[in-house]
Amino acid sequence: MRYALWLALAAALAAEDRFTQQLEETARVASVMVDGDVCRRIVTARAMEYMLRTDPKDRFLAGDNYDVNADAFDSVKKTLIRLSRLVPFPADANLWMPIPGLPGKVRIVIRNANELSQFWPWGALYQNMEPEMKTVLETGRRVTVARKLGWVSALAPVRDSLGDIVGLVEVAGRRNPDARENVK
Amino acid sequence: MKFRFLLFFISLCAQGAELRLWPEYLRTGPDGDVVAADRAAPPNLLKSIRVARAGYASLQVAVRLRSPGNYTFTVQSPLPTEVFREWYHRLEKDGAWYPDALVPVKSPHSARLPDVDNRVENQQAQAYWIDVWVPAATRPGEYRLTFRLESAEGNAEAVLPIRVIAPVIPDEDVVAIDHNSYGSSWIGDLYSKERARAGADFYRSDAFFHLIHAYHRIFYEHRGVFHQLGYGHGGKVGPEFAPALEGSGRERHITGWDLYDRHYGPLFDGTAFRDTRRGARPIPFAYLPINPEWPASYLWWGEPGYEAEFGNVVKEMERHFREKGWTHTRLELFFNHKKRYMGFPWDGDEVRFPKDDYYFKEYGRMFRNAVPKDSPVQFVFRADSSWTMEQQSKELAGIVNMWICSDGILSWYPGVAREMKRRGDIVWFYSGPPSVTEVSAKITEFPFQAWLWGVDGFVHWLTVSAGEDPWFHFDGGGTALVYSGERFGIEGPIPSIRLKVQRNAVQDLALLDSLRTRRPIEELRAGAARSFNGSKPEDWWNPRPAIADRPPIEWTNGEIRAATAGTRNMLRKTGPGAWESVHAYIMQMAEGLQ
Repeated sequence: MRYALWLALAAALAAEDRFTQQLEETARVASVMVDGDVCRRIVTARAMEYMLRTDPKDRFLAGDNYDVNADAFDSVKKTLIRLSRLVPFPADANLWMPIPGLPGKVRIVIRNANELSQFWPWGALYQNMEPEMKTVLETGRRVTVARKLGWVSALAPVRDSLGDIVGLVEVAGRRNPDARENVK
Repeated sequence: MKFRFLLFFISLCAQGAELRLWPEYLRTGPDGDVVAADRAAPPNLLKSIRVARAGYASLQVAVRLRSPGNYTFTVQSPLPTEVFREWYHRLEKDGAWYPDALVPVKSPHSARLPDVDNRVENQQAQAYWIDVWVPAATRPGEYRLTFRLESAEGNAEAVLPIRVIAPVIPDEDVVAIDHNSYGSSWIGDLYSKERARAGADFYRSDAFFHLIHAYHRIFYEHRGVFHQLGYGHGGKVGPEFAPALEGSGRERHITGWDLYDRHYGPLFDGTAFRDTRRGARPIPFAYLPINPEWPASYLWWGEPGYEAEFGNVVKEMERHFREKGWTHTRLELFFNHKKRYMGFPWDGDEVRFPKDDYYFKEYGRMFRNAVPKDSPVQFVFRADSSWTMEQQSKELAGIVNMWICSDGILSWYPGVAREMKRRGDIVWFYSGPPSVTEVSAKITEFPFQAWLWGVDGFVHWLTVSAGEDPWFHFDGGGTALVYSGERFGIEGPIPSIRLKVQRNAVQDLALLDSLRTRRPIEELRAGAARSFNGSKPEDWWNPRPAIADRPPIEWTNGEIRAATAGTRNMLRKTGPGAWESVHAYIMQMAEGLQ
């Protein structure tokens, strides 16, 4: 009986490990597949300008002026969708990018169907950069984050044609997916 | 000496127990006084009620004791009558107590003041909401309601005459009042006991679907519509909001309808409403689950595979609805996403950038190609429109045929509303429920404005989210018009005072509008507006502002706010008795035109 329990525990641990490994492997592929030059062209210059503006009389100013170039958006989004299909469970590949001239801040640029992310607070156009993201953007190393119970995010750098790191991909999954989460 | 003292004491007690009859628009607090929001009206007690047939008459009865004690409250009525105990919500922001949730009770109702559950310190009064249903077959004339209070402090009795007039309120509403919500996970949160009973399968259980249907029922019984949007901003679809799919490209197809049919079947054939006072009938509107990621994967957007997946599934859906006979509900193709939520590169909701209209045209084309021309299924293409409303109304004419408009922006486009209506489109506007701290008649402004404007209805954008603790840490109810009944042992929603006030206004409007066969509609509108707040119908529109002639991409919310100051300032002065005056006008007109 005890032996069987140990076997079950070992199997569970191995499965968990496979879960993380699959996300990490997808993140590694993302670094190869996601085109950093195209990523730079997604958000319009006008939207970037408005993103940092505030107006006490207009709290939706930045959001109401948020806009993207559809061709660039679609190109990267489709790559991210393909990446998420590399794993056999619900997962999302999200694109994050820093904000030029605003160190310490980061913005999410593309999200996907399950709306899985360990970092994005609902509705934020930009936010404080997580230390793990900073590591990826500064060193080019991949980092795995399991901050929330049952969640794993594998972070991997995105480079442009010059070899500069322009952003990162978060490949996120939940061990116990909730079919109704984010249906709202 | 002892005997005389005893008589004096009994006499005092008798003076202490008190019953007061209040009109529906004067809410009272746990101290028995009218709440601050409704004090602009004279605190006149109710003497009588006049009501048309096939409608409700409502009032409030406040029980007051001088000192803590038990009491029994009894209602005797010759007409079908429902009694609700008013719950006093403690506001988080200032600790004030406001009544709103209505807990059904049976007469006679025995209780205690202060109420142990409501936990109001020094509570001296308890208000009850009384709904009297007047069936269409009721003989016109006077009926008397008797209210009795028995307590150790003494007894009290009050009688209220209800005069039933001959006109019958039409069953069909002239304005649709929509109550919106998102997803279904909130049901599990609100009904944790039921969820625990059902266990891991709660969201597939009969109890879950009964709860969904109970929400539809409560809004239906209050002359309203209930919507649940079944997908997220990234396109994820809840399992009970869409059929199950399999395959990719030309192989994409539906594999199962089980959860969808359990959810929508009783709503589309009307059986979910068979035990209601208004009778079984299909719901008038429902969202489809279609979004940029469902049924076609966005991976194929712009490629032949997208239209193949989209067309395959829409065709199967149309066939399923047709075979089931679900042809009475308008099924809405609707896009709720915004690009600021980073799921898709265009705004489905409130288009600000005119280039995004392209996607509406594309979906309109794909949808037309997928649905047989002679289909009896009623599909509509719905768009929520604000910034670019004027342009969209022209650009998407013949494609979008259900418009949910920003009330502020529509207020300076009477011509846009007229043109949409002229071509047969459905036109609603959107807003949100007023907080309980606003004047009681505030909630009547929306149906009234819709009727004055000549549009079809309006949407309360969120109506089931009362906050984590609506009982003692209440946010005011700006996103809720019903509450979970679980606290009171009821597995389903319970109504609010605001919902009741709104229902009574809508039934009045149905009656008033029916008089247009005998009086010009302009005269009826003028009379009702004058009664409401001394206004004219044109005062409910704003002049076209200068910004309307600039590209909407340049507008700011501050400019929009400035451009709608006229109506906002007028409605800031709405008095608690505003609708009561309209009701009196309608009763007078209805009776006079008999």
